[in-house]
Amino acid sequence: MMNATITTLMHFGKRDKKPRFRDTLRSIPIFADLTRRELAAIERILHKREYEPGERIFHQDDPGLGMYIIESGRIGIETDDAPDNVGDLGDGEFFGELPLLDGGPRSATAMAKTPCRIYGFFQPDLFSLIERNPHLGVKIVLSLASIISSRLRAANERVEEMRRLLEASKKPAPPVRKKRTSRR
Amino acid sequence: MNNPQTARLNRWLVISGFGFFALLMFTAPGVVKMVVLSALLAYIFDPLVTAIELRGLGRTASTCIFFLFVTSACWILFLLVSPLVMAQLEALRTGVSTEQTAGFILRLQAVVRKNFAFLGLGNVDLAERIQEIGISASGKIIDFIVEEGPTLVVYAVAVPFMIFFLLKDGREIKKALISVVPNKYFEFSLDLAYKMDVQLGNYLRSQFLDAVTFGVLSTIALWILGVKYFLVIGLFAGLANLIPYVGPVAGALPAIAVCLFDTGDITKVFQVVLAFVALKLLDDSVIQPTLVAKGVNLHPLLVLLAIIIGGEMFGILGMILAVPATGFVKVVFQESLVTLKKYGFRED
Repeated sequence: MMNATITTLMHFGKRDKKPRFRDTLRSIPIFADLTRRELAAIERILHKREYEPGERIFHQDDPGLGMYIIESGRIGIETDDAPDNVGDLGDGEFFGELPLLDGGPRSATAMAKTPCRIYGFFQPDLFSLIERNPHLGVKIVLSLASIISSRLRAANERVEEMRRLLEASKKPAPPVRKKRTSRR
Repeated sequence: MNNPQTARLNRWLVISGFGFFALLMFTAPGVVKMVVLSALLAYIFDPLVTAIELRGLGRTASTCIFFLFVTSACWILFLLVSPLVMAQLEALRTGVSTEQTAGFILRLQAVVRKNFAFLGLGNVDLAERIQEIGISASGKIIDFIVEEGPTLVVYAVAVPFMIFFLLKDGREIKKALISVVPNKYFEFSLDLAYKMDVQLGNYLRSQFLDAVTFGVLSTIALWILGVKYFLVIGLFAGLANLIPYVGPVAGALPAIAVCLFDTGDITKVFQVVLAFVALKLLDDSVIQPTLVAKGVNLHPLLVLLAIIIGGEMFGILGMILAVPATGFVKVVFQESLVTLKKYGFRED
């Protein structure tokens, strides 16, 4: 962290070329349609952070400010209801993207499991980007909306499936025919 | 960040940064003044550069275009206005002893001698006293120009230079400062910084616009009333309006003095007072509610204390910068409390 800080302070203003991280960025659906120049503009507004194992990135119910992209390391996601880890995320994956749109509270806690280097992309930076480069801002917001709508569609399908299962379980079982016993 | 050694080092970095700033404030207040002034102006002009950026240009190109435009505008304004201002300043320096003024002073002297004899003013020679004050004041002005001239030149070069880089690299500087914050407080600090940015930007820009509007209106009013040196006095009134309570009075006083010594006409003095009262009412009821951000309401006592402390520490510029600086501190406290409540830090 200290080294990262000193490097940032020493090299601020200089454009560092990180083709590998740019590839990581392009692999993220939100940035998939961006040109090289647009990706460079995004890279300039990202905040680089480094975390030690066991260090919390954010806590469930904290005000959400934006999303994180993992460059290296593993992040564990857990909720208060399921403290035994909801999922693990690794290199090139991202998390916490919903607050980018609504700024709502965090729905889970994110914790570093190994030494991690992650990049934060935050709502105020997105708003500022929309203000000065509306073309790029709209592209990102549309990508976000598309991701969220596909998730909503998937969630709807799941709800529908569960409703069908529930209805099926509620249906009375067909009456079992009793064998007639002949009176003799 | 869990590494205690790293955390300690980082804490020391921040503490030594603050320590260095405090040391600078006492050992080289001029530098602090210059940095604060440049930062405030950069904050005010930032949206203009962003507006140029909106045309699809990079930040550096936008800043260059903005500077080119401002420099050209200042140069044209300087060429147009400077002969008039210089002429008015020259006239202000030499032309106070007209016949009308002499007549007014004699009448005033008679009134003072008659009514204030019990105070030992029975034989007071007002003309001589005023001349003495004039000589001492002009001496002080010359001393100020000789002593502060080099500093003013440094300001004229360094302040635009700083503004340029603050406008060009402001975002990177903010990012670099945020990167020093420990992970635990990172999102909180970022949230706080963004909110302060919005609040403070609105506040400073509105104060600046208010001062410009007041300056232009007072210049027009003084020109209509036919007050001499209307341009210089109007500009001064606009600048003085940045200081609440004291500013409007300080802005009106030179106009009243010029009326008294130039014409000796009491009716004109009343007209000037009336114009300033009307302008202040217009400022309070229309201009300020429209322009000035409502978020930063400072208590009159706090404002007065800030002005006194600013004046003690950095002179007139300190008095002008005291209110925005106090507004800044208030925004920091307000937003810190609100954001702290939202985050409610837990022990890991």
